[in-house]
Amino acid sequence: MVRSTARSCVAAALALLALGAGTVGADDPKLLPNDRAFAFSARGVDERTVEARFVIAEGYYLYRDKLRFTAEPAVALPALPPGKIKEDQFFGKVETYRNQIVVTLPLEAAAPGKPVTVHAESQGCADLGVCYPPQVQNVTLTLPLAGGRPGMPVEAPQKKSWLQ
Amino acid sequence: MRGWRRSPWFFGALAGAIALAAGILWRQLAVDSTSTTDRAANSAPLLALTLPDATGEQETLGQWKGKVLIVNFWATWCEPCKEEMPRFIKLQDEFGPKGLQFVGVAIDQPEKVRAFAKDIGLNYPTLVGGYGAIELSKTLGNRVGALPFTVVLDRAGGVVLTQLGPVKDAQLQSMIRQLI
Repeated sequence: MVRSTARSCVAAALALLALGAGTVGADDPKLLPNDRAFAFSARGVDERTVEARFVIAEGYYLYRDKLRFTAEPAVALPALPPGKIKEDQFFGKVETYRNQIVVTLPLEAAAPGKPVTVHAESQGCADLGVCYPPQVQNVTLTLPLAGGRPGMPVEAPQKKSWLQ
Repeated sequence: MRGWRRSPWFFGALAGAIALAAGILWRQLAVDSTSTTDRAANSAPLLALTLPDATGEQETLGQWKGKVLIVNFWATWCEPCKEEMPRFIKLQDEFGPKGLQFVGVAIDQPEKVRAFAKDIGLNYPTLVGGYGAIELSKTLGNRVGALPFTVVLDRAGGVVLTQLGPVKDAQLQSMIRQLI
């Protein structure tokens, strides 16, 4: 009887926990801010090439057709790698990226040793059932000189939050 | 022996069910124990929200005060938002005559909102806003500014529920039945 009472208490506690969790749903304290779920960085590979990178947190994905890169000075339209097909009820078949995506951005003209500002527009969601608004992240880097070593990645600044 | 071993679990489940009921009651009391003025104050910026609807008419959320008001922040670029809207349409159909009013706040472009509203046969108004509307939702607990985000207001304008992510149908239905 003692055991059964103990079990009843455990079951009751679990039920209460479930109730608490049930009202929260996707409002998980672990949900990341937009710019942390999709961390953008870029580096200069050579005097006319920038490599752009999104590191995508586990449980999050970016839509391929929402990804746009622009830069000053101008870059050519990049070739986006194929994504993973996802079947959406309303969108139908869509391509998504997970984990990370690396895109090469060729400048229209070489600019050795010059600064380049890259703007990355993206839109993604979390598997928990929420989507983030489109965001633009900016990185300014310096291109290597002709024949020089590739630059270090420069991370897009993340908004300060009270969590940090 | 098996039967005896199972019975504590039966009692456990029974206790769980009682606790669940008590929990619901307790939550209700907890909500009710907040003074009406405080709760109304929480929702004041939301009720003051004035935005064009999908046809360009300016609408203020406060015009629906006195009804059980469910404000759903959504967008056509948000798949989970779109997936839960047919359920909202059904609830609006069922409970609208009893005083329930759904209102959408789309973070979107008017033409996209109009096209989607027509596609799914939206039977409640939706306002169209920008990032300002997302910022407003943050003041109501939408910590990361994502969608869908839903706020349930009682007839006095008090915030009863805020939910980031899809709302569970059973939870929403029981809440509507209590508030209506």
